Amino acid sequence: MIRFSDFSRETIFLSRQPYVLIFLMIVLALSIFSVWSGIAETQAQQNTIESLLEKDNVDRAQALEKQSSYGSAAYYSFHLTYFPPSPLAFAAMGQRDIYPWKHRIRMLALEGQIYETDADNPELSFLGRFDFAFLISVLMPLFIILLLHDIRSSEREAGRFDLLIVTARNQHTLWTARALVLSIALMLVLLLPLFVGAAIMQASLSKTVLMALITLAHLLFWGAITITVGKLMAMRGQSSPRIASALLALWLTLAVIVPVVSDTAINKTVKSPNGGDLLLLQRETVNDAWDLPFSDTWDAFLSKHPDWAEHTQMESSFEWKWYYAFQQVGDQKTEDLSNAYRNAIAKKDTAAGVVAFFSPPMMTQRLMTSLADTDITASLGYEQRVRDFHQSLRYFYYPLLFNKSEFNLQVMDDLPRFLP
Amino acid sequence: MPDQVVAASSLCVKLAQNDVIDNLNFTIGRGEVFALLGGNGAGKSTTLKTFLGAVSPSSGTASVMGLSVDADINTIRSKVAYLPESVMLYGHLTGIENIEYFLSLAGIKQAQPEIEEALTKVSLQTDAWHKNLSHYSKGMRQKTAIALALLREAPVLLLDEPTSGLDPRAIDEFNQLITTLANSGSTIFMVTHDVYGACQVAHRIGLLDKGKIVGMFERKNNAHIDIEEVHAAFSQGKIK
Repeated sequence: MIRFSDFSRETIFLSRQPYVLIFLMIVLALSIFSVWSGIAETQAQQNTIESLLEKDNVDRAQALEKQSSYGSAAYYSFHLTYFPPSPLAFAAMGQRDIYPWKHRIRMLALEGQIYETDADNPELSFLGRFDFAFLISVLMPLFIILLLHDIRSSEREAGRFDLLIVTARNQHTLWTARALVLSIALMLVLLLPLFVGAAIMQASLSKTVLMALITLAHLLFWGAITITVGKLMAMRGQSSPRIASALLALWLTLAVIVPVVSDTAINKTVKSPNGGDLLLLQRETVNDAWDLPFSDTWDAFLSKHPDWAEHTQMESSFEWKWYYAFQQVGDQKTEDLSNAYRNAIAKKDTAAGVVAFFSPPMMTQRLMTSLADTDITASLGYEQRVRDFHQSLRYFYYPLLFNKSEFNLQVMDDLPRFLP
Repeated sequence: MPDQVVAASSLCVKLAQNDVIDNLNFTIGRGEVFALLGGNGAGKSTTLKTFLGAVSPSSGTASVMGLSVDADINTIRSKVAYLPESVMLYGHLTGIENIEYFLSLAGIKQAQPEIEEALTKVSLQTDAWHKNLSHYSKGMRQKTAIALALLREAPVLLLDEPTSGLDPRAIDEFNQLITTLANSGSTIFMVTHDVYGACQVAHRIGLLDKGKIVGMFERKNNAHIDIEEVHAAFSQGKIK
């Protein structure tokens, strides 16, 4: 049983070790940097959304003022859709680096618009973001290994082991107290910036505490592994570098090899349509429609919207209702591919969730992104909200287009608004 | 307190399938200094480490104050002070801080004046007390560890080559200290290859060779053990 005196003794003892203090300061600096960079990115995204939102209303109002038909109004008016970062997103940016979180949507075919995103430097994307989740899931195990791997073996190598165990009231208390003090110090320097960041971003306390508990669970896992392996190998006379090598090999396996190999295996196993094929099919369908008989477009369109069957007569070679009908047909043609594409993403995510049980770093990252609403589920949720919004635009415009209503700017006040 | 404070009975230790200690039998009484003398690889340190619980007997028993090392090692450790051959304390702590740390490990709280008294007793110069151990010579580290042993007030002292690497003056001081401790009732078990030192302080000397006691010498009429007699045992090949 550890007494308070054991704890205070080891705290004073370790606080006198310069290398431990320097190490903890470096970890604190890394933690501060990870939180700061997360907050900077989150605020940049938030600022972008706010500035786009300001322009969105103005641009649309200006565009609508110049229109004389609902068809051209739908064509020239853009609608901002966006997925604001959650208050805790600064800690785990997750899929926000990969999936788009803002769009300017028109009532044209959707598939071509929904996967449109800003182009980032692919080499920078490959490196990944140095956020808190990365620090905890990938780097923290290394910190623990560095701090705890040689708790016993270093004393043996320094020639103090026998003196320590003979002197100590209980040698297990000695090692446990020492490991606990180091682990708690590590937790403090890692978590302090998180809580400060959460306060700045006004994140919910319960979610922040949950994130801290995930960190703690991950730390306990690696702490237990490090101490157990360190003890067993030290008992067999293995040196500190050998213990460190064994633990680093384990880290490499769990934090790098398992995620990379499983990602490759999942991508090979779960069949997914090519995104390029999807876009190509939609573009070709839309472009070909110009040269096809009207009836081809109407037949396809009416299969989904039979209620407009009595309103398909054309009075000229171009009418907006026909134009938007073949835009919709473009989406219809790619519907199966698009569903398969999204199902494959969800399946891959489910499979990665199973693999994560064999890779605590992967599991940690998944739990953190889930908590921060930056995981694949959140991204697919946003995509679905964009689809729903686009659908609501069609439902708004179709009666106006098919009933040949006279353009009235006031009607546009009832345009659907995107709700994030 | 039993008369037999330290005892080995048919003690055997195997390390990597080799018989390092082979049927060892001896006892050490209260206030006695017993030296196990032998050359390199004779099994001296292994014998000592068996009493510390760092090495397990393959058969036989090793006991301290009637407690078996197999069953009561934690209790034994609370009654034993150990002085390793090369005292390595924490270089980033001062002599006094090292003593405070190790005493705290043992669950003992000693006031600073008592620590200073112990350091004075072992003749560690006062200007070194507050210097980091990294600046200490081997003899100074040895004295610090002896002061620690004194402060623990352990009834049994286990010493591994205690005078190895010390200068002659430090050896003399050390031998005087051991004699004083024994006179005050401490039981001292030391392993050494220092024939002169052993003869100076020990009440009995066991000659160890290949894990067996091959000769035993003891004081007669309170005189030191005859160094020539012991040395002859070495030179005649009893001890290699």
